[in-house]
Parts: sequence; structure tokens; C-alpha cells
Amino acid sequence: MKFFQTTLAKLAKFFRGNTAGIIGTTIVGVIIIACLSAPLITDNAPNKRVARGHQPPSAELILGSTRAGKDVYSQVLHGGRTSLFVAFSAATVTTFIALGVGVTSGYFGGRADEILMAITNVMLVFPQLPLLIVLAAFLGQVGPPVIALILGLTSWPWGARVMRSQTLALKNKEFITAAEVMGEAKWRIIVFEIIPNLISLVAGMFVGASLYAIGAQAGLEFLGLGDPTVVSWGTMLYWAQSSAAFLVGAWWDFIVPGTAVALMGGGLALINISIDQVSNPKLRTGPYLKIWRRMRAQVEAKRRRD
Amino acid sequence: MSFLLRRLGFYLVAVFVAITFNFIMPRLMPGDPVDALFASAQGRLQPETLTAYQEMLGFNDGPIWSQYLQYLKTTLSGDLGPAIMLFPTPVTEVLGNTLPWTIFLAGTATLFSVFVGCFIGLFASYNRGGIVDRFVPFTMSFIASMPQAVTALLIFFIFALTLRWFPLSFGADPDLEPGWNWVYLKSVARHAVLPMVTLVLSMIATWIFTMRNAMVNVLGEDYITMAKAKGLAPRRIMTHYAARNAILPVVTAVSMALGFAVAGQVFIETVFNYPGVGQLIIKSVGARDYPLMQACFLLIVIFVLVANFLADLLYLWLDPRLRK
Repeated sequence: MKFFQTTLAKLAKFFRGNTAGIIGTTIVGVIIIACLSAPLITDNAPNKRVARGHQPPSAELILGSTRAGKDVYSQVLHGGRTSLFVAFSAATVTTFIALGVGVTSGYFGGRADEILMAITNVMLVFPQLPLLIVLAAFLGQVGPPVIALILGLTSWPWGARVMRSQTLALKNKEFITAAEVMGEAKWRIIVFEIIPNLISLVAGMFVGASLYAIGAQAGLEFLGLGDPTVVSWGTMLYWAQSSAAFLVGAWWDFIVPGTAVALMGGGLALINISIDQVSNPKLRTGPYLKIWRRMRAQVEAKRRRD
Repeated sequence: MSFLLRRLGFYLVAVFVAITFNFIMPRLMPGDPVDALFASAQGRLQPETLTAYQEMLGFNDGPIWSQYLQYLKTTLSGDLGPAIMLFPTPVTEVLGNTLPWTIFLAGTATLFSVFVGCFIGLFASYNRGGIVDRFVPFTMSFIASMPQAVTALLIFFIFALTLRWFPLSFGADPDLEPGWNWVYLKSVARHAVLPMVTLVLSMIATWIFTMRNAMVNVLGEDYITMAKAKGLAPRRIMTHYAARNAILPVVTAVSMALGFAVAGQVFIETVFNYPGVGQLIIKSVGARDYPLMQACFLLIVIFVLVANFLADLLYLWLDPRLRK
């Protein structure tokens, strides 16, 4: 109960005056809840033919129908579940690898560090999307779990570098030295002393990796490299593109999944910015500065009175 | 000097990793790569030509290391044989036709976003808490976080399809004869506007943020306080004291941004039907012309590495500590 209360207090502190964080969390929260409750709030199965092709939005189909006569509203919510699943599992894989490589490299140093960092740096200069395209092309029309896996396995290098530099900074702190002198096992120091101090960084990285994965998955599927029979935001864009929805004026076929991806990406980006600003107050702008200026004015006024 | 040599060595290693990746991938995949080549040729190649072609790519019966040596020899010699998709045009010629478009688009858009983005970032940090500082970075990063495919589609829909302000596809009017004349260059410029705007929109936020955050950190340094105490004009402190030091992280960010620009290129060229390397790699995937796809991949990697090296040179010029 105590833990719950402190967490709640911390969350309240995080959001106070943090407009970007509030907007971002609201957008992301609404999308996640809407997608999770998709079977409850949609009448039609996403892959069922319910109308003629390319019907504009109406009272019955509030977001219109696709070329194949499927309900766009149902597709975008059910598709969102696939896209979010891919994004969050890819982000989990990325975060774990980045944390593992970064902390190992930073804490142990020496040979392990050299080898791991050489691999990381080479991975880092490779342009990712072409790499993903080549992988996906050889694997042939990959399904969502495989996309999540290849996204997770290729996007960790930047995070590993950040984790490593942070671990290097922590390594020389007194409490780590104390733990070493007390003879604690190395894995124990890593798991119980170092990683808890990297938590805010891990959270930021997870959000960033999800943001990247949402876009990359939608992109890969849009280019026709995913499995087109799966319903997701990317394949919706792919079908809209290949059925020439724009050219025949069926804008809803594009705009709906496009907006979903854009909102999710924008929401995650806002959360990321707000995490940055909370962990580094120097970067703040707007209302924060006003509060700060008011405080400074008060202090100066008080000094003058004295 | 040792800095440059180290970087050069690193890039050479990276190129070898890319070539090795290209060599391993077809051999790891289920099914016979030779059959796949045969299928993608769809009878456009004579059986003898196909056999010669396969041997050139290292698909011979020898042990794996001799296949690898053969593959290295072919790749490094630069003679990659004919593109199956566009038989009998050689791969090198196909790539040579697409590369200028990509360099033109990515180069101009990157330079433009770096300059304008840094300027906005500088301005935002100069006027902390002002209108620009509060709204521009957030809005731009909201736009930039939209996947490039979506941004490209929206811009295509609004400005090319609905308003008809700009052409729908191609790098230039196909009826015109390519050449260094005014009419052709004007057509190229008109066709490049929308792809360029899309690319800039997806990149500029990075620069605004990098520059603004670097400036904010530098502005807390003692030598800035010192400059203020000396009574220097704020503008002079901004440009000559703060910005000069804040620019270093910006240069470091170039290498990351380039990969991003190339990725954006793939979507943008696909949506706007622009004749660059990004579109070619997608077309070659569609035609199952894997050797051409791999050549595109290698070309993109080399392009990014060369650009990274240029960024290193710039870094060396900007940071005297590396020059000792």
C-alpha cells in the first residue's frame, strides 16, 4: 500500500505542469484502451465483407469501407492491437539487449567492452531501413512476430551506447565501490545497484523504441514486405495504396490508419520529450520557466526587504 | 591524423561487414538461391548466361571460402553483371542512373534542415520561454514522429492530387530531354519540391532539438557568465561564444540523421515515384531480383559511410582538440 502511494505521488509529481506529458499520455492511453476493447466496441469482424467497396463514412459504417468492403472502423481498432503488440514487444527486446550490452560493456570494461562496442558501432552506422528491407525480402512476407523480432534485434545499438556511458559514470560512485569492497557478487552489483539507477533511462528508451517500431512496422508493411493477410495499421496502408484509394477519392481508406499511426507516434514522442525534461530540468520551457521566474522574483524581493 | 586513420579503418571494416552480410543472407534462406535466381529471370536469360552469372556471384560448387573469395572479387571489381529485372542493362548502369537523384534529394534536404533547424534551435534558446521556444520544437517533433510514409502520403494527397500544385510522379517531365538547360532544370526543381518538403519535415525537429538542448547546456558554462560580465553584446555571446561550442553535438548527430534520411528516402521515392535508389531497392524486391537488391543495399551503405566520413572531416576542422 505504501509502495502504491509513493508511486502515485511520483506520478502526480511527474505530470504537474507537464503539458507535453499529459497530452502524450492521454493520446497513447486512449489509443491503447480503444484497441484493447476493440471486440466490445465494434460490430463487425475486421476481415468480414460487410458492404460494397469504398463506401464513404455513413451512419452505419462510421469510417467507411475498404476496397474489399471491410469495415474501416473495425479494422483500425483490431489492426491497432497487432501494431501495438509489435511495437511493444520490439521495444522490450531492444531495451533488454541495449541494457545488457551497455551495462556489461560499461561495468566490465577491457576486452568485453572493446568487442561489444566494435559490434555496436558497426551496427550503428548501417542505415537501418535498407537492412530491414533486405532481411524482410529474404524471409518473404513476414508476419507480425517476426517483424517485432527483427526490429528488436536491429535497433538496440544507440541505446547500448547511452547505457554504457551512464554505467561508466555510475561505476565510480562510492556506493558501487562499497558494494565491491563488501565482496558482493558482480551480477548482484549489476542487478541491484546499477540497473535500478538506470530506470529513468530505461523508461525513456522503451518509449523511444516503441515510437521507432510503430513507424518502422507501418513502413515495412506499407512497402509490401509484411504479410498482407494480417490486419494492422501498416497493411491497411498497403491495401489502400495498392487499391489506389487516393486516385478514386476514397480518402478515408488512407487517412484513418494514417491518423492512427501519426497520433500514436506523436503521443509517444511527447511522452519522450517530457521524460527528458523531467530528468534534465535545464531543458524545460514555457510554464516551468514562468514558475521559476516568479520564484526568483520572490527571492529577490525578500532579499531587498531584508 | 591518427583520428582519421582510425575512422577510415572503421569504415573499411563496416564495408566488409556489409559485403559479408550480402554473401551470407542468400545462403541462410530456405530454398536454393540458384533456383531463386532462375525463377526471377523468368526466361529472360539464356541458361548459359545464367550459369555464368551465378558463378560470378559465387554460387559455384566449391567450398564456402572459395565462394566467398569469388563473391568478394566480383563485388570489389565493381562489375556486377546485368540486372535481371531490367535485362540486359548492367547493374552498375542502373545504379548510376538512380544515384544522382538520391544524392540530390538527400543532400539538399539534409543541408537545408541542418541550417534552418540549427537556426531555429539557436533562436529558441536565445529567447527561452518565448513563443518560438514553446511551440515550434513541440509541433515539429510531433510532425517528425509521424512515420515518413504517412507524411509523404498526406502531402502527396493534399498538394499533388487534390490541389494539383505539383506533379504526381517522376524526377522530371518524361517528355523533356535531360540536359543542363533551363527548361529541364526547372522541371527537376518542380518535381523535387514535395519529396524535399516531406524529407525536411521529418528531419528538421532533430536539429532544432539537438541545437536547442546543446545551447541550453552551454549557456550555463562559466565562460558565458564571464562574457556577460565583460559586457559583450548578447548577440555576440550567442553566436561567437555559445553557438560555436554547441555546434559539436550537432555534427555528431549527422551520422544518425543520415541513416534516417536514407530511410525516409525509400518511402518518399515510393510514394512520389521518384527515380532514386530507394525506389529501385523496393522495385527489385518486388521483382525478386535479389542481386540487384543487394547491390542497392551496398550502395546505400557506402553512401552513408562516405557521408559519415565527411562529417568526421568537419568535426576535425571544428574541434582543435582532435588535431594535436
